[in-house]
Amino acid sequence: MASASPTILLLRQLRRRPVVLAAAAVLGIILAVALLSPWIVPYDPMKMDILNRLKPPVGGHWFGTDEFGRDVLSRVMQGTRLSLLVGFLVVILATALGAVLGLLGGYIRALDGALMRFTDALMAFPDILLAIAFMAALGPSLFNVVLALGVVYTPRVARVVRAATLVLRELPFVEAATALGATTPRIVLRHVLPNLLSPMIVQGTFIFAYAILTEAALSFLGVGVPPTTPTWGNMIAGAQQYFRQADWLILFPGLAIVLTVLSLQMVGDGLRDALDPRLQKVT
Amino acid sequence: MLAYIVRRLGGMLLVMLIVAAVVFMIARVVPGDPAAVMLGAAATPEDIAALRTRMGLDQPLLVQFVIYLKQILSFDLGDSIFLNRPVTQALAERAELTTSLTLMSVGIAVAIGTPIGIISAVYRGRTLDQATVAFAMLAASVPSFWIGLTLIKYLAVDLPWFPVAGYGPPEATFLERLHHLVLPAIALGIPNSALILRFTRTSMLDVLGEDYVRTARAKGLPPKVVILKHALRNAMIPILTVIGLTTAVMIAGAIVTETVFGLPGVGNLIVSAVLRRDYPVIQGALLVVSGLYVLINLAVDLLYAVVDPRVRY
Amino acid sequence: MRTLSKILFTTALFGTAVTMAITPAAAQQAAKGSVITVATIGEPPTLDPVGVTADLVSVITQHMFETLYTFDREWKVIPLVASAMPTLSADGKSYTIPLRTGVKFHDGSTMTADDVVASLERWTKVSPRGKTTASVIESITAKNGSVVIALKEPFAPLISLLAMNNGAAAIMPKSVIDGANPVKSFIGTGPYKLLEHKPDQYIRVTRFDGYVSPEGPANGYGGKREAKIEEVRFVPVPNATTRVEGMVAGQYGFADSLPAEMLPRIKGASGVTPVVVKPFGFPLMIMNSKAGTFANQAVRQAVLAALGPSDMLTAAFGDPSFFALEGSIYAPGTNFYDADSAKGYNQNNPKKAADMLKAAGYKNEPVRIMTSMQYDFLYKMSLVAQAQLQQAGFNVDLQVLDWATLIQRRGNEKEWDAFFTYHTFVPEPSLITFVNPSYPGWWDTSEKKAALAKFNTEMDPAKRKALWAEIQKLFYTQVPTIKVGEFYNLAAATAKLKGYVPMPWPFFWNAELAN
Repeated sequence: MASASPTILLLRQLRRRPVVLAAAAVLGIILAVALLSPWIVPYDPMKMDILNRLKPPVGGHWFGTDEFGRDVLSRVMQGTRLSLLVGFLVVILATALGAVLGLLGGYIRALDGALMRFTDALMAFPDILLAIAFMAALGPSLFNVVLALGVVYTPRVARVVRAATLVLRELPFVEAATALGATTPRIVLRHVLPNLLSPMIVQGTFIFAYAILTEAALSFLGVGVPPTTPTWGNMIAGAQQYFRQADWLILFPGLAIVLTVLSLQMVGDGLRDALDPRLQKVT
Repeated sequence: MLAYIVRRLGGMLLVMLIVAAVVFMIARVVPGDPAAVMLGAAATPEDIAALRTRMGLDQPLLVQFVIYLKQILSFDLGDSIFLNRPVTQALAERAELTTSLTLMSVGIAVAIGTPIGIISAVYRGRTLDQATVAFAMLAASVPSFWIGLTLIKYLAVDLPWFPVAGYGPPEATFLERLHHLVLPAIALGIPNSALILRFTRTSMLDVLGEDYVRTARAKGLPPKVVILKHALRNAMIPILTVIGLTTAVMIAGAIVTETVFGLPGVGNLIVSAVLRRDYPVIQGALLVVSGLYVLINLAVDLLYAVVDPRVRY
Repeated sequence: MRTLSKILFTTALFGTAVTMAITPAAAQQAAKGSVITVATIGEPPTLDPVGVTADLVSVITQHMFETLYTFDREWKVIPLVASAMPTLSADGKSYTIPLRTGVKFHDGSTMTADDVVASLERWTKVSPRGKTTASVIESITAKNGSVVIALKEPFAPLISLLAMNNGAAAIMPKSVIDGANPVKSFIGTGPYKLLEHKPDQYIRVTRFDGYVSPEGPANGYGGKREAKIEEVRFVPVPNATTRVEGMVAGQYGFADSLPAEMLPRIKGASGVTPVVVKPFGFPLMIMNSKAGTFANQAVRQAVLAALGPSDMLTAAFGDPSFFALEGSIYAPGTNFYDADSAKGYNQNNPKKAADMLKAAGYKNEPVRIMTSMQYDFLYKMSLVAQAQLQQAGFNVDLQVLDWATLIQRRGNEKEWDAFFTYHTFVPEPSLITFVNPSYPGWWDTSEKKAALAKFNTEMDPAKRKALWAEIQKLFYTQVPTIKVGEFYNLAAATAKLKGYVPMPWPFFWNAELAN
């Protein structure tokens, strides 16, 4: 079951599906903006210029200015950095927690039942509701949003990892390793985990997308990242009052969300098709 | 069959118990005395002492949890700090709106998702199919609050066809209430139509490949009959499942939509409760909504088992 | 397709069951007469006007409850439940307040002097304003249908305090007060009585047929009161844009507290008239004089030097016709206006502030400034203040809280260094919150204490004016608080609303709806 790396598979897939290629390119640009934003923003995103407030998008300020005269383009770019950071950290946290739970469940029969009931219970809460509950208990901060969403999406990873582990442990090469006397931790680390990488990456891509959407919703509701932090959700929430006279304040951060989530989902789809031959037949 | 139902019910009870435990922990994770947290800023020391005794805060955590469970089982979710009434009453007052909104959104999501899904499957691989798949993905990528704000701008403000917000005056007629729910239901229905669309497409594709459909085609039956009578009928079960699941998801989605449209429903209650630090309401609403979510999921599973003889237990 | 209908039926049935279970048994009775729907900024925390100083509570409850005195359009105190101005003993320590006879409560009972005594006693215990008088009041007694308030020392602001309708000395039946605190029923003597309260949905008050109005022509909050509109319905609409758009769409008959920048939208809409209330209030940045970094007066002076109210007000209100740069706590045209003692306002000098900070020994300690998004303009000006303070070298930790939490937290001097709030215009300076030494911020220096005592015991209006200027001078040297400026309130009313009198707390008696 030595499979080609996801990257290679993705590249192969890309050649067949130009839409996925385009999505990947867009995602690449978004990532670049996120990484480079402190150096490439045209203006300081926090710099106020009260006399030039609510200027429509024309030369100088391509996305216009907000109610404090701050440059919306620069803020959307900085928002990219923040929103993607939240998404990325959520993926890391959910994947790490989910992998541990999934492996434990898949490998230790005695724990399996309890762990799966626990993930069932977590999944019994709708995403946003559980996140709101956590935020109510923890209070608003970027770190707490990551924590809350990380826990919310853990069960998804746990289930995928558990299911894959159950299959993997029965495969000949794992059985062979067991017969040769390899310890369980060693088997898990050397043989099982590498093979879990693909499903985890696919799942991670989708969680990335959901996390960005949910973070925006939490911020919009006023229970997410503190409103002074320019995430996309906060920018839209703060601009509601001006949506009639200055709709660019809502349009651009909204487009940023749609574009990012859309390209993430498309790349996720492409990855899944590439990595799961069964599905490929159907599509 | 009976054994399956019993097993599922047992599993559900266990899940609900864990849900209750999570909800129970919320007021205890917040820094400070849980009784003081539950009563809010205006509480007197006597009130706090009384609630401490009632909640058994001097007892071990497990005993407190048992006390909490007993209260839930007697439908006692505590009293709202801000609203001066039992949480059950506050929830009941708002349930009608959220129920109507959810049903209407499901209606819209189904009306969009199923036909487009069928068309997409029938025109598999062609431009129309690719366009619908792209639409599904786009719909699932747009935040519902953004759709809501956009709808308000164009269809309530620029063109005054729909009310901007609210649920109408107390004496509003049923039709007036529905009118207030149209835009919210669209904002909530569109993102959720994506899942139904993709599911319909997949199960239609599965069915269209089956032998009996090919036979029907070979018999020279008109495509419309084949698709609607033979294929759709059999693709219906998985589609129904996903509709059930979508319904459950929408109850939660209503939280955002109700806030955008200023609708005084359960979702709005939850958000206000978080902002007002009204922990009894947060806990109660969480418990009830998750309970509904679990119940709907169970109902969908059981129905699935009833209508599809192929499902084995 | 059989299965689909089955599922839909099940779902529908389930939905109906829920619906039926929750529909309140009391069917909504259709209002017979005219109804005005008033969009307010949110859900009030209570309908008891005594315990809180929230403006929103005052706006609603002033229709139901009345005080002994009230203010006319020139902000002079005039009688309301009282039948005349009080008679003062020669030593200024005893007030005899005559009461109107035959005044009816909403429960049908007739108001007696005992009800008034009980109400005033409750006020001294429960109301944030009443509490400040508790130490001066010797006794409150009923005497021949009048109420006698005996004081330990002369106290000039007393009658103004009794006239305020927030933290109000509202008159309620003794039987309600004896029940419990908070009161369980909301029975007053006002022209409207409570019909129904559904939190987050509406509060309905309807005409009280047994209402007995004071004599004399209508004047400000006082004079003849007549409920011409059958029902006033207060609807919480926290989103300001929704208030404006709902107003334009004709959903509301009146909308309060609108963003000034929406004025063109309101002016352009047919059937809607803008209502500008001027003077209305002043935003404040209250600093913690008791503990933390701002307990150092020199640091507070640096804050005063650093802030630029012009940018703060522009960001908050946009339209310059809705605010004024004004350092005097009382605006020009009002009785206590004094420009000379307001030097130091509007410096906007980060360099000077930085030097002052260095001299004050400030070592980059974080200053925690609390603000809230519930009041959009406060939030915006706090963001500008943050930027300005940072420029002067302050290490600002801006904490955005919900309003309820902010109110709760400001009570503890260890938790904060400054917070943003606003104050509505009050005719009597000692009613201003930060003048009260127990108000969060705790401005209670010996100089201020002495100046305030002199001011409160002086009964001669001209001398009080000069004494107030002394307090304002201290305000700009000790800098307990920053007065950001003056702002005016924008509201909107349907063009059908006739006879409406704009005042800071909108009221709807005497107004009527044309057909």
